[in-house]
Amino acid sequence: MLEVNRKMIWQGARTGLQTTWELAKVVVPTAMVVAVFRASGLLDIITAFFAPYMGFFGLSGEAAVVLFSGYFINLYAAAGSIIALNLSLSEITICAVMLGFCHSLLVELPISQKAGSPMGYIFLIRLACSLAAGWLLGVVLP
Amino acid sequence: MSVLWDGFLQGAKGVWTIAIIVIPLMIVLEIAQSNGLLHRLNRFMTKPFKILGLSEEGAFPLVVAIVFGITYGSGVILNHARTGKVTPKEARVVGTFMAVAHALIEDTIIFWVLGVPLLLLLVPRIVLAYVMAYIVHRATPEELTAGE
Repeated sequence: MLEVNRKMIWQGARTGLQTTWELAKVVVPTAMVVAVFRASGLLDIITAFFAPYMGFFGLSGEAAVVLFSGYFINLYAAAGSIIALNLSLSEITICAVMLGFCHSLLVELPISQKAGSPMGYIFLIRLACSLAAGWLLGVVLP
Repeated sequence: MSVLWDGFLQGAKGVWTIAIIVIPLMIVLEIAQSNGLLHRLNRFMTKPFKILGLSEEGAFPLVVAIVFGITYGSGVILNHARTGKVTPKEARVVGTFMAVAHALIEDTIIFWVLGVPLLLLLVPRIVLAYVMAYIVHRATPEELTAGE
């Protein structure tokens, strides 16, 4: 059956620690940046600007920060923003589902291209899924 | 200054929440990988992808991408394409599916620890990935040439 030895556990723990470090490098600075955004009033400006568009997905304007950090940077950055903002659980849920489809585009689109699928085409599919799911959840979730 | 400190503490707390799940999980995944579990379960794991016109060889990179992430999946598919185990059409179908649904363990955990229900994180991604890949499977001619 399954063989388990010390080397595997150590190797797995190392990968886990590496992931945690990658996570910390992004989550902590993002949370700090968002805290500064909030204190400086910049967050209010961003919020007011995006509020009308975010309403389409049942989200408040603040959620734009989460979506953009997920789309362009990665899910860790999105998690960092969520941690630093005061979103309701249903808003976090909508953001999470939207970002599941579409995230880390700057890194992952070139990877898709390398694996044999044109970037533009993959981008359209992922964005379409993300927006469609966000709209649907915005309608369905309380 | 206290603004930065507050942000730092919030971020660090979030990292801790994720770390206590990610580290044990990576140990489990490492054990699975070292035992070649995916290869051993290949026939069973690749069955659900027959509808998408994927052979066992063609579906294997997809299973890897779903469990371990898009980077690993792409690595396997490049290798398979080079050795002729995957046709260009299969690569396109797999590419579509794995662009929408990949790293389903890690991506899911990040948001699950923040309180999002598991089913909402998994089901929409898997269903839409299937639908998109099926459309591509039906719409793509068999003799798709690489790089088209």
